[in-house]
Amino acid sequence: MEEQVGIRWHHLVTRLADTRHPQAAVMLERIAPRLATVLRALGADPGLGVRASPERRLATPRRWLQKLAGTGRRHAVAWRDDDGLRLPPVLDTFDQIALNEGLGLWLVALASRAPAPGPADDWAGWNRRLVAQTLDDYPGLAELYGRLARTHVAQRPRPALQESDGSRREAALQAALLEPRDAPAVPPAAGDPLPVPLWLYPVEAADNARPPSDDAAEERPAAAGAGQQLRQRKRASYVDDIDGRSGLLVFRLESLFSWSEFIPLDRTADDDDTDAARVAEDLDHLSLSRKRSASSSRLRVDLDLPSATEDDIPLGEGRLLPEWDWRKAALLPDHCRVVPMLPRGATPLPLPARLQPAATRLRQRFESLRPQKSWLRRQADGDVLDLSACVDFSVQRQLGSAPGQPLLWRRQSAQQRDLACLVLADLSLSTEAAIDDEHQVIDVIRDSLHLLGEALDAGGDAFSMYGFSSRRRDHVRLSLIKNFADAWGDEVRGRVQSLRPGYYTRMGAAIRQATEILGGQAAEQRLLLLLTDGKPNDLDLYEGRYGMEDTRHALMEARRAGLQPFCVTIDQEAADYLPHLFGAQRFHLLRRAQDLPRVLPQLYLLLTGRSP
Amino acid sequence: MDTEQDVTGEPPRSAPYYAPAGDEAGLFEQAAKHDLPVLIKGPTGCGKTRFVQYMADRLGRALYTVACHDDLTAADLVGRHLIGPAGTFWQDGPLTRAVREGAICYLDEIIEARKDTTVILHPLTDDRRMLPLDATGECLHAAPGFMLVVSYNPGYRNLLKGLKPSTRQRFVALSFDYPAPAVEQQIVAHEGGVDADTAHTLVKLAGALRHLGGHDLDESPSTRLLIHAARLIRAGVDTLTACTACLAEPLTDDLTTRAAILDVVRAHFAVAPARAPMRTSIRTSIRTPIRAI
Repeated sequence: MEEQVGIRWHHLVTRLADTRHPQAAVMLERIAPRLATVLRALGADPGLGVRASPERRLATPRRWLQKLAGTGRRHAVAWRDDDGLRLPPVLDTFDQIALNEGLGLWLVALASRAPAPGPADDWAGWNRRLVAQTLDDYPGLAELYGRLARTHVAQRPRPALQESDGSRREAALQAALLEPRDAPAVPPAAGDPLPVPLWLYPVEAADNARPPSDDAAEERPAAAGAGQQLRQRKRASYVDDIDGRSGLLVFRLESLFSWSEFIPLDRTADDDDTDAARVAEDLDHLSLSRKRSASSSRLRVDLDLPSATEDDIPLGEGRLLPEWDWRKAALLPDHCRVVPMLPRGATPLPLPARLQPAATRLRQRFESLRPQKSWLRRQADGDVLDLSACVDFSVQRQLGSAPGQPLLWRRQSAQQRDLACLVLADLSLSTEAAIDDEHQVIDVIRDSLHLLGEALDAGGDAFSMYGFSSRRRDHVRLSLIKNFADAWGDEVRGRVQSLRPGYYTRMGAAIRQATEILGGQAAEQRLLLLLTDGKPNDLDLYEGRYGMEDTRHALMEARRAGLQPFCVTIDQEAADYLPHLFGAQRFHLLRRAQDLPRVLPQLYLLLTGRSP
Repeated sequence: MDTEQDVTGEPPRSAPYYAPAGDEAGLFEQAAKHDLPVLIKGPTGCGKTRFVQYMADRLGRALYTVACHDDLTAADLVGRHLIGPAGTFWQDGPLTRAVREGAICYLDEIIEARKDTTVILHPLTDDRRMLPLDATGECLHAAPGFMLVVSYNPGYRNLLKGLKPSTRQRFVALSFDYPAPAVEQQIVAHEGGVDADTAHTLVKLAGALRHLGGHDLDESPSTRLLIHAARLIRAGVDTLTACTACLAEPLTDDLTTRAAILDVVRAHFAVAPARAPMRTSIRTSIRTPIRAI
């Protein structure tokens, strides 16, 4: 009973103390894609993005109700960082949806004019100059800004009559909001002013927000997938690891770490500690441990091999394939064993419901591009006379060189487009990495395969799909999803759904095997489409130059076999090495992995010449 | 004959407007002087065709333009027999006419033509400068002044299409891009007939939207689109409507991207003078709470 009263009181008093407008709230995740596009356009950098910001603690004056409710200490504000703009996850400063959306647009324009994160000192002056510059550069925003500023100033408390530092500052701040060009400077005062949603804040000062430099970190296999992602970005700083080897054990009771200061949430070790994740959500400061070493994580991966009963079903002993050693400039014969695998436990599944609308659209689009019936000209027999053939024939007859069996007819026939496509998807452990709050790279790859499969099935092109990963040269796994003979259906969809990331990326061997499969197709045009998220690498010496050169050689073999390799990658550094591997125009770099399912079918049309 | 032809056959009466971006005109003149064929590559709507018209006018030569497409056959370029009242007769194609008259033949988007079609250009593009006509048994030698110009857009990454290296290596190649802002502003003002301010804002807007090319947008907005928008604005169409119709809609089908483009457009064009009323409203907004009390 007491507890219930307490909860009710808490709800009531927090609602009363709340100065926000939930009825007009605009969720950032809804408008973020649009704002990000605007930011990229105005900010002149295709790498920029818009993400949610965590709340930060500000020492602002609080109303007595807020003090009573214990709220108003933490505020979601906006700031510019190197990756783009951080915005509050919910925009609810104003009581109209249009104004809250306008606030997002305004902050994006403001951030596009900020060359770098704002300075911690002279915050108000920096913002005033920024606002003035933004209004100069984008005169179309003056009207919006005027409305936002007027409405917001009306929400702020009227500066008290008695002269105090705080009220002088508040008055100057309000004047600066309304007249960013010619208001007087904002005087300093103790504490923070009430949050100004129309301005950008400096990046939150953290002593050690950068991870300590750690060479071993680079060599680690990229298994950065955190099991659970927090919905908000958390402030985080790296702490020194507790060194277990130091001899003297000093135990002082007051130095015990409390929960709020240090929890050993080891993000690099993929712990499934849901409890820690839950706790982390409640905390506003995380301490991260950087403790790891390449050997221990390698060991872990090797030990983590599934037992034979759990692993995918190997289809036969595998095939021995050569590998290119660039130092010897020679192909090492029978160097890799490529084992075809079938995902275990793949049950026939329908297409996930969330992909249904996109799949329907794609099906319609690709069906309309199916090879149409066309008129074949100059046939020996047919339904209609071929006029131009007849004219040519009569000309030639007059010239005295007409053939005895003229081809004068036109016939209608279904024209075959002679095209086969093999999709090779990278399933290495790095695809376990998270791309946003809810999705991992592997989710995106699965969705992409689903949608591309739907599209190609509707378009009537011959295609097959494989995934690949590797664990040293004796175990290159080629997961069969669909071969050229399989029909696209629930069984294949189930295999797509059961794809799981694991191991490394021995790209060369996988490409050679794919070349062999695709080379066996009799089509005139053969497209080898590679989806990947990083460079070739494996546990042994297959990394750096070695892996790169082997992959390049495998691709040259593919081209010699008459295939057209093309790579789609989400690795942002790929522009450094993909031209070397695939050729300048033969790859596509996606800035946002989430776009892959949408872009891939379009790209396929582009590559096969059915869209401009 | 399904060739899309813009066969003028004589130099245009008024000189076409062209704002040079560099020394392309000088290079083209030299190529013309030394009987070298020219290849122009560049994104859509950046002024390739206009440049060729301008150069034809400057050199005082006739221009035959052929827009290439999938079904373009060699006969469409070279010519064919037609039926007339007195039996059949031979009709020259645009290429043959240019070869006979010593004119410029411009093959637009040559990449769209089938590879076997472009092979007939080979004997014309080396120092033989001749065109064999199989159908009539003639072998034409190009008249002095004949020049072959081809263009294509390298942005379309079509694996199955492309110029054969053997074709490509016969040309003097010029690479075009969208003009520098100052030049583009001049072009938009001249062609679209708008004042310098509007042209400046349109070019600045295009500069912002071009950052989205290849990522959010398949292709960047072209100078041609800007000129279209400028013409509509000059005709009295509301700025936002003109930009929606000429920029947002032609560039994307994606609703989010379209909304973002419109946001960018709104940010660039001042809608109404907003500075003056702001000062008056400060007082009202500060006064309001007092009245409430």
